[in-house]
Amino acid sequence: MKTKIYDLLSSVKLTVTLFLVIAASSIFGTIIEQGLTPDKYRQIFGETFFHVLKFFNIFDLYHSWWFTFLLILLSVNLIACTLKQIPRVAKITIKSGKKIDDSLFTSSQIMNTLYFKEPQSDIEKRVSLFLKSISNSLTRVSNNGVFYYFIEKGKFSRFGMILVHVSVLFIFAGGLIGAIWGFGGQMNLVEGGKSDTVYLFGNEGTKKLDFYVACDNFSLKYYKNGIPKEYKTVLTIINEDKEVFKSVIRVNHPLTYKGFKFSQASFGVAGAYNFRVKVINMTTKEENLLTLDMMNKVPVSGNDLSFAVARFESDYMGQGPAALGVLIKPGEEHDIFWLNKNSPIQRGDYVFMLNDFDIVYYSGIQVNKDPGVILVWIGFILIIVGFISSIFFEHIRVWVRVSTEKEGCEISIAASTSKNKDIFKEKINRMITEYLEGETA
Amino acid sequence: MNDTFIVSIVTFLYFLSAFIFLVSVVFRKDNAEKIATVVAVGGLMLHSLALIIRWIHSYQLGIGHAPLSNFYESLVFFSWSIVFIFLLIRKQYKNSLISMFSVFFAFLILAYVSLSNTLDCQIQPLIPALQSNWLISHVISSFLAYGCFAIAFGLSILYLLKKIINNNIVNLLPDTAFLDEITYKIISIGFVLLTLGIITGAAWADRAWGRYWGWDPKETWSLITWFIYGAFLHARLARGWRGIRMSLISIVGFACVVFTYLGVNYILAGLHSYLEY
Repeated sequence: MKTKIYDLLSSVKLTVTLFLVIAASSIFGTIIEQGLTPDKYRQIFGETFFHVLKFFNIFDLYHSWWFTFLLILLSVNLIACTLKQIPRVAKITIKSGKKIDDSLFTSSQIMNTLYFKEPQSDIEKRVSLFLKSISNSLTRVSNNGVFYYFIEKGKFSRFGMILVHVSVLFIFAGGLIGAIWGFGGQMNLVEGGKSDTVYLFGNEGTKKLDFYVACDNFSLKYYKNGIPKEYKTVLTIINEDKEVFKSVIRVNHPLTYKGFKFSQASFGVAGAYNFRVKVINMTTKEENLLTLDMMNKVPVSGNDLSFAVARFESDYMGQGPAALGVLIKPGEEHDIFWLNKNSPIQRGDYVFMLNDFDIVYYSGIQVNKDPGVILVWIGFILIIVGFISSIFFEHIRVWVRVSTEKEGCEISIAASTSKNKDIFKEKINRMITEYLEGETA
Repeated sequence: MNDTFIVSIVTFLYFLSAFIFLVSVVFRKDNAEKIATVVAVGGLMLHSLALIIRWIHSYQLGIGHAPLSNFYESLVFFSWSIVFIFLLIRKQYKNSLISMFSVFFAFLILAYVSLSNTLDCQIQPLIPALQSNWLISHVISSFLAYGCFAIAFGLSILYLLKKIINNNIVNLLPDTAFLDEITYKIISIGFVLLTLGIITGAAWADRAWGRYWGWDPKETWSLITWFIYGAFLHARLARGWRGIRMSLISIVGFACVVFTYLGVNYILAGLHSYLEY
């Protein structure tokens, strides 16, 4: 029973099945939008279907119990397969060459036997030249007047595939640590403001940092065609009321402090100030430019009327920025109206126009902490090293046996490779012609 | 000279090359095969020149970046990758019919690029998220992988044709075992490149968004593709699968590639769609 379970867990059949099952189930998470509110899902799927999908955690599929289970099963499978592979590879790499026996010359991938009339000492010179053209570390053993040579190269390439598989485990481990101890969220900082609260993604509440992050300045640059070119935030880290340091973050250029990473993610309009409103008295044709801040009442052309801005929208009804103007006449109800930028509006004797204003931006900063990320980087580097060593290198082994016969001597050659047998066979044959047969032929 | 004009010449050269390969298939002329290869090599050189000119031109416009940043540029580079990979591995199989399909595939992509009126071939400035040193390595490794998978897809189709029908044209193909072997080799190269593409993408995402993996549709579909080709390699290497089953997996894999590349942008929404490809 135990071995049956182990056989199943260490089988490549399971690997292939899991690959296909994980791939197929991942598709659902890309079709059904993840992380919406329950009400939204009820609306889309209806009450009954909603409950079915909720049971399988389809709305947060990649963190669901069953998807996590599949990933854990894949890791177990990976560990079991690797443990199974290591002894096999160790056998080939560590023990190889140590023990040379005659069966090698009848059971290897590539075999060849040659006869020479020259004396053995002469032939041995050629054999060592032949083998040293592959590598310098030549092993020579003699047994009852028969000489055995062994040479190998690229042993480590056998470990390439094991390394690739181990690095996937590193990446999984990093991902697991990140999922347990890491977090990700957003912080919207208004210019001049500061905060220590991160709003976690996936409606998971907030997280308090033990320091404050202040946004000193946010700036935007556009290309001629109106596409954003660059946006950046000047951040100050404040620890116990003391400024620790200042840093500028841009998209693709985050700041890391105490293991927290602050990335420039988005921006938006938080509000406006310094509104410039032109007021024209239609009877006197007198023009007047009011300059005012939000909720700041100013008199209109010296009489008893006054005007204020009560609200600002960066995009009011899809018509661009607008301010909510309030015209105050003593003893009468306030006259409230929206002023779109640069479009005049007449109220009684007066025409109002919003000329300009200054915008206060907020900077959307993504805050992440992931203690597992280092394992992921190690995994990434190892996977590349593993691929390179198994693609560009091969494990070559060549054995030669030289024995004296009645007339001259006999050379037997056996060779094997971890890669393409046919290409290697051609190479060995070419080398035989060059180093061994050269003059005798 | 204008790079889009050079691309239209390249389009013609790939068509010409495919046509001469066809002639060499039908009339079994070795000379034609050589001429077609020379035309394809010439096409690739001009194609590379077009990329370089566009790159230089973007610097002259003051918005310098590698020509790998929007849908138009990615299609042109996809076509380049297919011909590049095909010329790289051509010696391994030396078969005009396979060559013809590879170059024809590249031609079709460029023909679409030239004929489509929705594609914007202007050099556009890079939005902040794309201004990264990871752009070049990420796009090149991903598209070289796509190129490998495209050729493997063609080979698998030919494999199925050879298995199912039996006529004179199909007989011009190498035997099925050989097709199977070459498909496997090219998929293993593609798999390594795809892995590299995902790794560079993850490193980039970590810089840009603070996390290396976020299960956004583009990321997820690249992983789905990785799993399919991973299954292909494991089934073959460890289980000894061969034949029709393998070519079916290869075809499904390429469908995933196409979906990762196009479907995610045009069918699904996600972080990448606002990046335009």
